[in-house]
Amino acid sequence: MTANLREHTFDGIAEMDNKLPNWWLWSLYLSCIFSAIYWILFHTLGTEDLPYAVYIAEEKAAAEKLEAEMAKNPVTEQSLLALAANPAALAKGQQIFLANCASCHLPTGAGSIGPNLTDAYWLHGDKPMDVYNTILKGYPEKGMQSWANFGPAFVQHSAAYVLTLRNTNVQGKEPQGQKVE
Amino acid sequence: MNPTETPRRPGCPELRRPDLDSLFTVNPDGSRNAIHPADVHGRFQRRKHLLWLVLVVVYLAMPWVTLGGKPAILIDIASRHFHLFGRTFNAQDFWLAFFYLSGLGFALFVVAALFGRLWCGYACPQTVFLEGVFRRIERLIEGPPAARRKLDASGPTPQKVLRRGAKLLVFLAIAFVVAHSFLGYFMPVREILQAVTSPPTQHMTAFLFVSAFTLILFVNFTWFREQTCVVVCPYGRLQGVLYDPDTIVVGYDNKRGEPRGHDGNEVGGDCVDCFRCVAVCPTGIDIRNGTQMECVGCANCIDACDDVMTKLGRPTGLVRYDSGNGFLGNARRFFRPRVALYSVLLVMGISAFALAASSRQAFESNLLRAAGAPARFADGMVHNMFVLHLVNKLPYKARFTVAGRGPEGAVYEIAQPEVELDSLADWRIVVQVKVPEAALHKGEQAQLAITARADGIEPIEQLATATILGPTQAR
Repeated sequence: MTANLREHTFDGIAEMDNKLPNWWLWSLYLSCIFSAIYWILFHTLGTEDLPYAVYIAEEKAAAEKLEAEMAKNPVTEQSLLALAANPAALAKGQQIFLANCASCHLPTGAGSIGPNLTDAYWLHGDKPMDVYNTILKGYPEKGMQSWANFGPAFVQHSAAYVLTLRNTNVQGKEPQGQKVE
Repeated sequence: MNPTETPRRPGCPELRRPDLDSLFTVNPDGSRNAIHPADVHGRFQRRKHLLWLVLVVVYLAMPWVTLGGKPAILIDIASRHFHLFGRTFNAQDFWLAFFYLSGLGFALFVVAALFGRLWCGYACPQTVFLEGVFRRIERLIEGPPAARRKLDASGPTPQKVLRRGAKLLVFLAIAFVVAHSFLGYFMPVREILQAVTSPPTQHMTAFLFVSAFTLILFVNFTWFREQTCVVVCPYGRLQGVLYDPDTIVVGYDNKRGEPRGHDGNEVGGDCVDCFRCVAVCPTGIDIRNGTQMECVGCANCIDACDDVMTKLGRPTGLVRYDSGNGFLGNARRFFRPRVALYSVLLVMGISAFALAASSRQAFESNLLRAAGAPARFADGMVHNMFVLHLVNKLPYKARFTVAGRGPEGAVYEIAQPEVELDSLADWRIVVQVKVPEAALHKGEQAQLAITARADGIEPIEQLATATILGPTQAR
């Protein structure tokens, strides 16, 4: 059976020219056909979205869904005060505060790099919506980052916890900002 | 390279015999040549079927076995938790996998260099399930090889529809079970049970995966079979570089057997050219052509030939386990430099893994400077803010207590001095360190002692340190 031996040799090693298994050839042909269709649909005609476009669309849909959810339950002074009166929400808020806020405001809120949250002096207002917006949007030029990326629950719970720190008057950083009556 | 060409009997259609120049399982036109190995009995068959009985149970039951409340083997990719015989690893420990897998790889090298493809013929799940489960059921439903060949060739008779249909149904059911058991190595079995008993819409990814895997197993064990070993599996392809003339393989004693086909007269060899060894081969080779890449070392041909030799009153072992040198009548060697090298690599891999796994800490504690927080000064003290990151690497829940240590005069404010963490859970604790300005020297370290306590173990203590920044005093 040396009839189907190829002419070339490499270091005396010759190569047979047997037919490849049909199942193997068909997997190759089908892959070629698939890639051609994929190329035309995705890259030439553009009738289908590439992964990045799909990702952007999904992200947009998720953001819209979240916005609709939020619109149903808008954050108001009342909703924040209700959270601040809810022990379970406060426990979550405390956890968030200790793990994220305490590095600048100290575990007690007495202030270190960030201002003292327990005195009567406030840079950006002590009203529930003021505190909420400060955490949500931040004041990056003064070192307070925006925490919006951490999700609505994160911002609302931490804001609720900060509301309970007001006027606990822990001895700490010197007063900053306007005195609030 | 066939030592002798078997002459065609006049009037018979040309019969294709295995040769060294082509795959016997592929016809010259590229179509599949289905192999129906003949029934064979003998000592290696008995050993294999006994072993497979055990291995089928082991492979299927392993995901259910728990050690100390944790799965014995669970590579939970979704949550990146890895359980291995009572130890728990997380993604940060993944580098250990290199030593573990290379150790296993070299173990296969050692076995291959010493005894050929023992793994393939006896223990590989492909062989265990194909030969130990699927082929036996096929024999039960469709009958002996001649009947199976007839069924292959026949049209859609009621007989064929009934037998084939029954076989395919049973095969699909077994593929379903095996696919779920396999999934159990990567997903907790309780979750699988829950998933199987609830509608697929609730867990689409797992459902699609297990459906695809069931289909792959079904096609593999029903049609693809030995092609997996011959065309797909890389281990068999390595045999060319792992074998040497002293490797013990399934082989044919050329010296004793040739010239073949003589009925016991004095000039002929012992091989009667009965083709029993070819008929029983699951990959369709003629072992008398020598060691070939298709051979999975199943030893079917040994049992087949021994049977024939016994009936002829000749000594058995014309086809046997022996080394290339053994078959030539040369001295046999067991330990060779190759074996020593593979063994050393194996031991290195295993000991590196054992060392790394045992020196692995019970928990991780890293004291990190809080982001964007340099030193502050107040009341004659230097304030430094840190975040202590804890990861519980114990396989169970533990309580962690954090306490400040030196330097002298340092005051620690720890946001949460005590925290309870589940296995592989992590936590961040904010820590403020105050040191009197007059006492701060260059390179002064903040030190936290973290103690892990759990029922039934001695408390484990670790020290986490970080440099305190600030204007330093000369010593």
